[in-house]
Amino acid sequence: MEIPYTVTARKDTGLFNSKVGIWLFLASEVMLFGGLFSGYVFLRIYADYPWPERALPIVPGLINTFVLIGSSVTVVFAWAALKMREWRRFQIFMGITIACAGMFMVLKGIEYKAKWEHQAVRMDDFAIIEGHAHYGAVMENGEVDHFHTKLEAKKAGGGKPFKTNKILFRPATIDFSVVRAHEPWIAEMLEQAGKRKSKLVTSGDVFFYGHIEDYSGTESDPLTGKDRAKQEAKIVKEFGKAEENLARKFGKNSLYIPAGTPLDYGLIKKARKAYIAGRAHNAETRTAILKENWRRVKEILPEKEYWEQAPVAKIDAATQLDEQFDDQGNCVSGSKVVSLVSTLSFRMDPPQPLVIKRSWIKRPVKAKDGKAELRDDTTLSAGDDQDQGAGLLASPVALSVDAIDFRWMAQKAEEAGKEPMEVIEQSWIFSKDNKHHGDYEQIWKVHKKRIGELEQELADKYGKDAEGKPKRVPTETDRYRVTWQDLVHYARAKKDSLMPGDAGFDELRPKFWDGFAGPNHKDEEIHKLHAFPELEVPHHKVSMQSMFTPKWNTYYAIYFTLTGLHGLHVIGGAIVLGYFLFFSKGLYRRNPEWLANRVEIGGLFWHFVDLVWIFLFPILYLM
Amino acid sequence: MSAEASAEHGHDHDDHHHDLPFYKKYIWSTDHKVIGIQYGITALLFLAFGFFLMMVMRWSIAYPEEPLPGYLSWIFSDEWKARWLQDGRVTGDTYNMFGAMHGTIMVFLGIVPLGFAAFGNFVTPLQIGTVDMAFPRLNMVSYWLYLVGGLTMCASFFMESGAAKSGWTNYSPLANFADGQIVNQFLAGQTQWLLGMVFLISSSLLGAVNFLTTLINLRAKGMTWMRMPFFCWAMLVTGFLLLLAFPPLEVAAIMQLMDRTVGSSFFMPSGLYTSGAGVIEASGGGSPLLYQHLFWFLGHPEVYVLLLPAIACVAEIIPVNTRKPLWGYKPMVWSIVILGFLSFIVWAHHMYLTGMGPVISTWFQTTTVLISVPSVILLTSMIVSLWGGSIRFNVPMLWAVAFLPMFGIGGLTGLPLAFNLVDLHLHDTYYVIGHFHYVVAPGILFGLFAGIYHWYPKITGRHMDTFLGHLHFWPSLVFMNVLFFPMLVQGMAGFHRRWYNGGDAYLSKAAGSENIFGNTVAEWIHLNPIMTFGAFMLALAQIPFFINFWLSIFVGKKIKNDNPYDATTLEWATPTPPPHGNFTFDVAAYRGPYEYSREDHEGDFYPQWEEPKRDKPAKEPKPEPAQ
Repeated sequence: MEIPYTVTARKDTGLFNSKVGIWLFLASEVMLFGGLFSGYVFLRIYADYPWPERALPIVPGLINTFVLIGSSVTVVFAWAALKMREWRRFQIFMGITIACAGMFMVLKGIEYKAKWEHQAVRMDDFAIIEGHAHYGAVMENGEVDHFHTKLEAKKAGGGKPFKTNKILFRPATIDFSVVRAHEPWIAEMLEQAGKRKSKLVTSGDVFFYGHIEDYSGTESDPLTGKDRAKQEAKIVKEFGKAEENLARKFGKNSLYIPAGTPLDYGLIKKARKAYIAGRAHNAETRTAILKENWRRVKEILPEKEYWEQAPVAKIDAATQLDEQFDDQGNCVSGSKVVSLVSTLSFRMDPPQPLVIKRSWIKRPVKAKDGKAELRDDTTLSAGDDQDQGAGLLASPVALSVDAIDFRWMAQKAEEAGKEPMEVIEQSWIFSKDNKHHGDYEQIWKVHKKRIGELEQELADKYGKDAEGKPKRVPTETDRYRVTWQDLVHYARAKKDSLMPGDAGFDELRPKFWDGFAGPNHKDEEIHKLHAFPELEVPHHKVSMQSMFTPKWNTYYAIYFTLTGLHGLHVIGGAIVLGYFLFFSKGLYRRNPEWLANRVEIGGLFWHFVDLVWIFLFPILYLM
Repeated sequence: MSAEASAEHGHDHDDHHHDLPFYKKYIWSTDHKVIGIQYGITALLFLAFGFFLMMVMRWSIAYPEEPLPGYLSWIFSDEWKARWLQDGRVTGDTYNMFGAMHGTIMVFLGIVPLGFAAFGNFVTPLQIGTVDMAFPRLNMVSYWLYLVGGLTMCASFFMESGAAKSGWTNYSPLANFADGQIVNQFLAGQTQWLLGMVFLISSSLLGAVNFLTTLINLRAKGMTWMRMPFFCWAMLVTGFLLLLAFPPLEVAAIMQLMDRTVGSSFFMPSGLYTSGAGVIEASGGGSPLLYQHLFWFLGHPEVYVLLLPAIACVAEIIPVNTRKPLWGYKPMVWSIVILGFLSFIVWAHHMYLTGMGPVISTWFQTTTVLISVPSVILLTSMIVSLWGGSIRFNVPMLWAVAFLPMFGIGGLTGLPLAFNLVDLHLHDTYYVIGHFHYVVAPGILFGLFAGIYHWYPKITGRHMDTFLGHLHFWPSLVFMNVLFFPMLVQGMAGFHRRWYNGGDAYLSKAAGSENIFGNTVAEWIHLNPIMTFGAFMLALAQIPFFINFWLSIFVGKKIKNDNPYDATTLEWATPTPPPHGNFTFDVAAYRGPYEYSREDHEGDFYPQWEEPKRDKPAKEPKPEPAQ
């Protein structure tokens, strides 16, 4: 059996099968990227924050544009070479095409990496700080300090260095949910506690009742009300010997954990098994009671409406679940339901700081709450030891600042009918609470002066309109955003004691090709000039923080989604073209036209990928 | 295929295919017919599972305070019951989970694979007279992607989070936070739904490309566009809908996946607050409306993806059994093309209540009313096709004829919903549920059942049993209506579609109060147990089908020849069951697809493949060989 038109074109359509297929596929790809572009437009139109315009370094994007266009040309040459049956030429041009794809991805990787290392903080007054986060270390004595680089932090401290965007909490007790406790987090906590010579042990005796199959509540049953406590006490006493009896007396999978047992995940897992068994036992018992209740209700109240029957049929906790005892203390009814323990509590002895990632946190941690809740229902609490330093530690985000953005703050001020400049100058960063406020006042002074100069320059150049207002004014971005170029510029000027307006001031500005993929914190000159000042944003001032990842805002979200999907298309296309280059010599010998067809549709796809980038570059980098 | 061609390529598949080992022939198969059967059986299993979920939900609606009966709850383990049921009763969470998965399974894993993929795969290449699909291996990949996607979704029932719970539409930001407590978001039901969806979308995408290429490039000699059976036209339009409507859903799925896993805010407005986590630590600035637009851009064409294959089956069965041509073949073809186009510009009628504004609502109201025109043309043509025919009421014909009024009810009850003002009242009530279930269950499913009974002889060489067929059909017809008609009434009385206790909790709170709304609920709440009874009877009615379906393979009445219905389209020109490669002769189409009861031709049918007799000058123009 042979499928027709795989190699030759059908006469009336003029196409071979895979060409029809690829055009259809591309139509659907157009809808895919069309959907994403529509998403971009939608998000940008409805953005309620200053959309980052021209926020990305243009040079790598521009190079990538030419790289892709070039590869689109060479893939056509490769196809033409195959049509002319010149294998060698095909190899060369296809090789260039794939090399271009590789180069594109490398440049993309450099861009991505820079964003992944770049910290941003939104403060509660909507000032935005960008920079490189410092590294913290927990010292032997439990003190926390931070350093510019990972290496310095490593040298100074005992534990693993951590980026200062983490939360530090010194718990007295930690409660784990036996069902939900997350193994890697427990391991991480144990590791940190071990490093700081601290132990995590259970705070009290705990009994877990499992699945009790025969619980008839008769005289022979060992678990009659009064006896239960006795039995428990006996097991506590005989612990070690009595473990076998546990299952018989308290049901399958039941468990006794004495106080002082050290935390490990195996323990939690055993507790989980017991809890789940007990829960299943309870569910079964209660279901049976409820079924029986309904049977009776339908007998005695057949005429009533359903919603009137329901309250009668409901399980009566007082009579149906509580244990009822006769004079001799024998259980006569109820309480086939066991009590469930769903959390295991551990003491941290002595309390030591734990470094907690923000992604672990369930809801914002505040110092006055005295606890931190994690997403796996683990609760770290300061307990009564709060006076002895337990609880939330100062967890500032410490960074070397390479941009300060007041645009959002200005937007909010304008919405509230206030003068933006005044609001900005009253912000925390310029206040005495910020121990580095001097640096920032200096920078802001220069910046304001420079913007003043710019305003004058524009007014002189473009003149004023009929109402006497200048025709052109500095943009919001010029006014309210201090970029890394500005910071370097001002630091250079400071060294030469120049101010805006002085001769030679403007020449000190970094050129647009400087800083290939953004500010370079490792640059000698920047380091020496101390161009990127330090800042410690206290925990309670941080309203949101993130790297420049999709989390930071919807612009970066759509940027990563669009370029990421496009990148996947580049990789996929390169793999297919690579297959034609490296593994298709056999097909070339057997049926060169077929291979040419394949390269043709591969090339069509490659053109599409190129076309997508031609749309992406302007909307993400230039607009 | 010529002998030279096969010799030239050195490997002749034809000689070997009979020796293929079992797993290659039936499991890793590239044969369009086997893949069609795989799709069909898998889809039927998913339909049964979706039906089961519905029965649990219907129990909860009728008897919300009672534990699930043993015949529904035996399937769950004790631990699962302890986690998801409260004293054996269905909880709100569990109801939501079953509701979301019922919708998803029925739409994406049941009806589309059964209608488009199973029938499309088996019948289309036969009807256009070709050997297989254009890309057989891609076809196989489609099926396996579909299976993996479906199993991924269903696996989440057994995860800590349970399966997705935010409705089959998965609106953000609700769905963004669903299962937010799960530490590894990739193991959360909602994320699994999205991942499964990515598989399903890839599957339908490959399927659509394959179908369209096959229809465009592989038609047999003489099979011009207007000689294509209506079935193939429906597949062509469906293919385009899948091809172009699914990608925006993929965009929505990717964005929601990003929101859930890397913390982006595509669909999260600024300053969002939840009771679980307080003010969300996310950037905000996104738009929930964007999700709805992207979703419904798929969602509405998807309705026609469900519907068109069913109409296609019915349109094939009616001419065969009335022994007369399909009335208005050309208008029907144009209608379906226009329908396909219009289905892309009506999506926001699902969103009247989002506050997108009256201007936009008016536009979508207009297009929505417009789309009823081609739908009515299709339905009317099929009804008129019955006129004056000598109808054979065999089992497929019963289903096909029942499809017409049932789909009619579904369609007509949709008209009020098209209007913005009426929709304000009916939105999210049982009226909507009744409306679209009338379209999908007694409508589309009846059409597909008709198709199963109709093509079963071609697939197996045996007829399905008539008595069991009647035992399947009549109770199904009755109980479908017992189940769905009261929904329309309840909906108009204000029953909300998300009441997991069927309004009972609402009523017990409102009891004694003078709340008018509460009183209308009290008046119609008694329909709940009746509908639930209907659902359970409907389940019983499927048992004869199940028996019939499996037993007839072995003991059904053998067909008299390869064309047992005396039909005219090309699938009946093959041996039974069709071998790999389908046709045993050089097949060509010499005339239109529905040449029944022609006066100038003896016998009451004139098959497409029958060469015109040489002694009579052929009335038809000589076939233009495509190549």
